[in-house]
Amino acid sequence: MKDPYEVLEIHRGATKEEIQNAYRRLVKKYHPDQYRNHPLEKLAEEKLAEINQAYEMLMKNGGQAGSGYYDGGQTRSRTYGGGSGDSIFQQVRVNINKGNLHQAEQLLNQSTVRNAEWYFLKGIIFQRKGWYGEALSHLHTAVQMDPSNPEYQSALNQMNYNNRVYRDRSGGYGSGGMDFCELCQCLICTDCCCECLGGDFITCC
Amino acid sequence: MFGYVMPDKPELRIREYEIYRAYYCGVCRAIKARHGNLPRLTLNYDITFLALLLSSLTEAEPRIQAGRCILHPLKKRKFIINSEILDYAADMNVLLSWLNLKDKREDDRSALALAGLSLLKPAYERVKARYPGKSKIIHDRLKELAELESNCCDSIDAAAEPFAKLMEEVIAYPLLCKNEKNETLLRWMGYHIGKWIYTIDALDDLEKDIRKKSYNPFLCQYDYRGENIKAFKDRILNNTRFVLTYTLSEIANSFELLPFLRNKEIAGNIIYLGMQKKTESLLGKEDRFERPVRSAGNT
Repeated sequence: MKDPYEVLEIHRGATKEEIQNAYRRLVKKYHPDQYRNHPLEKLAEEKLAEINQAYEMLMKNGGQAGSGYYDGGQTRSRTYGGGSGDSIFQQVRVNINKGNLHQAEQLLNQSTVRNAEWYFLKGIIFQRKGWYGEALSHLHTAVQMDPSNPEYQSALNQMNYNNRVYRDRSGGYGSGGMDFCELCQCLICTDCCCECLGGDFITCC
Repeated sequence: MFGYVMPDKPELRIREYEIYRAYYCGVCRAIKARHGNLPRLTLNYDITFLALLLSSLTEAEPRIQAGRCILHPLKKRKFIINSEILDYAADMNVLLSWLNLKDKREDDRSALALAGLSLLKPAYERVKARYPGKSKIIHDRLKELAELESNCCDSIDAAAEPFAKLMEEVIAYPLLCKNEKNETLLRWMGYHIGKWIYTIDALDDLEKDIRKKSYNPFLCQYDYRGENIKAFKDRILNNTRFVLTYTLSEIANSFELLPFLRNKEIAGNIIYLGMQKKTESLLGKEDRFERPVRSAGNT
């Protein structure tokens, strides 16, 4: 068992509030939504289990039996079942779920139909392979051909979500410092305010 | 096509920057010790990231020493010493540089590349003998790449695949891959770093390739018809930004799951800030900032 403080990335003797904040932050980071239908999904689940265990231990020691505990195990990954019932597409879905991408791709290429579901499945295979440009254009085509299908739209949304999470984290990483224009604006504002109050921040103006 | 994976320096703490530079200098020293002075000139930032990443996942605490070197004779610099990982990074640097030069030579019969090749040859042969499995895989991938390029492959994803697989192989450091989880995560990260480097490099070369009428996957996929480069870049902007950001997000996904023992902030700076800024600057939104720095220097 790993050191729970290390797992939660906090110092020893952290307050209850600090533990809870760290826990919330980490659960968000390794949330199943982020790794759904992802080759790293299992590893993310393990990590989340580790975080839960650490949190439970620390909260128990503090006299609190795991309040607000997040059960990652309940959110099972969505599998690509259902669909139109076309037998080849069914087989393709089974193979995607098992991770046999090559097999899935071959089956799909044998099909003569080129409907929205075909483009959707092709897009999912591309996404799993790491071919994101192709994935995006195939999923777009699927959504265009059948705009009312929630499955196709949600696959596209998932890709957008991934990008948003990355950008949010980038924003949180640096100091988020001002660029030069903002800095100037800020200084000028400061100067104006000072002048209103009878002082002066930038003496020449 | 190397040297894009670098930190966002202004966002690093001074202490972190010193550690980063100690890795840079450490790899440089390792190249000297193993292969002599000349191959040091090929050192690039991607390999520094490789050394930092692998070393941050390894139990053995890296040792830092200060000393002078011929490139910086006046001031003592800190560098990491005696690490198997730095030796590995140094070897991979030689391997990649040699293959890169070979590619250049075959592309445009450059005399400079030929000179570089003959200088690097002994070092390359040594590395090849040391990692026969890896160098064969890397060699095969580059062959696939050359084939795709000569057939004017019109899918960026397909064209990027061999290089992605190649980087996957480079980053899969044998000692760390004894652990299955580490191997999965490292390979995932390596694949996506390779993909990102290939794509970003193609973007960087757009103007040059249009001028020289050479192959570029962007020109083929988006059916370039002699329009103004700015207009072309605008046309491909949204899709390209989406795909590159998605690729970075996958690098980040594996980064978050890797068991870092140190330097996580520095690696995070590179993945979340350095690579994103590079992406944006090459997409043309931040032209006022710097162009890529490709070679060794004291920055």
